[in-house]
Amino acid sequence: MEIEVTQSKSVTVVVPSGDLDMGAADQIRRVLTELIDKGQLKLVMDLGGVGYIDSSGLGTLVAAMKQARAAGGNLKLCALQDDVRSIFEMTRLIKVMAVHATRQEAVASWG
Amino acid sequence: MIGEGPEGTFVLTSEPQRLAGLREWLREELTRHKVEQQEQFGLQVAVGEICSNSIKHAYNWLGGKPIHVSVRGTDDRLIIEVRDFGKKFDPQSYQPPDLEAVPEGGIGLHLVRQFVDELSFDVTEEQGTRWTLVKYRPGRTPGARPA
Repeated sequence: MEIEVTQSKSVTVVVPSGDLDMGAADQIRRVLTELIDKGQLKLVMDLGGVGYIDSSGLGTLVAAMKQARAAGGNLKLCALQDDVRSIFEMTRLIKVMAVHATRQEAVASWG
Repeated sequence: MIGEGPEGTFVLTSEPQRLAGLREWLREELTRHKVEQQEQFGLQVAVGEICSNSIKHAYNWLGGKPIHVSVRGTDDRLIIEVRDFGKKFDPQSYQPPDLEAVPEGGIGLHLVRQFVDELSFDVTEEQGTRWTLVKYRPGRTPGARPA
């Protein structure tokens, strides 16, 4: 999985491309944990390039969200493809996580 | 041993990185069985979750162990079997997730059940677990006799 990390003012945007499955979960976990440990707590993950996610991928995002929130930040999501969005709905994570339609909207939500 | 076995069967080994190859094969197989595009994603998730469980629980993350996946189609249903040869599934150890508690794990079987009409397992063979996932064709009623 390719993971691009960019900075938009004070917000860190993480852009993975590919399938967020059990095989990629460790990689994404390492990236997110490193950012949070460095104090980059205003996080946005653009899932526009992710066409598949499984429970391992979800677990990784939930863990990072909890870690970021515990440190005073948050992990917000944006640009979910329809299939991926359906998984967030089935697991009710759509109600718990901050999900935005576009990256611009997610970044702007940090104020 | 990785790749296609007899027609309708795929054999992967128990490394998480093998799941992508399984999905690719499954996509082709579901298309061959005329499964609509919108249902293919869910079945890929369901089969992937069962295989992930085999990797985690049956083989305890040990690589190189076989997982067999087969797809059969009839007029009214699609039958997918996943077979591992590791530690048998123990239903007593399974607890449905509390989604309100925002769990970080344990939601794999919950997802499987969202995408299939029937899910069963068989631990009567000498080794491992055989999972059977059934998805009825659109308009066919669960509970009807196999075609």
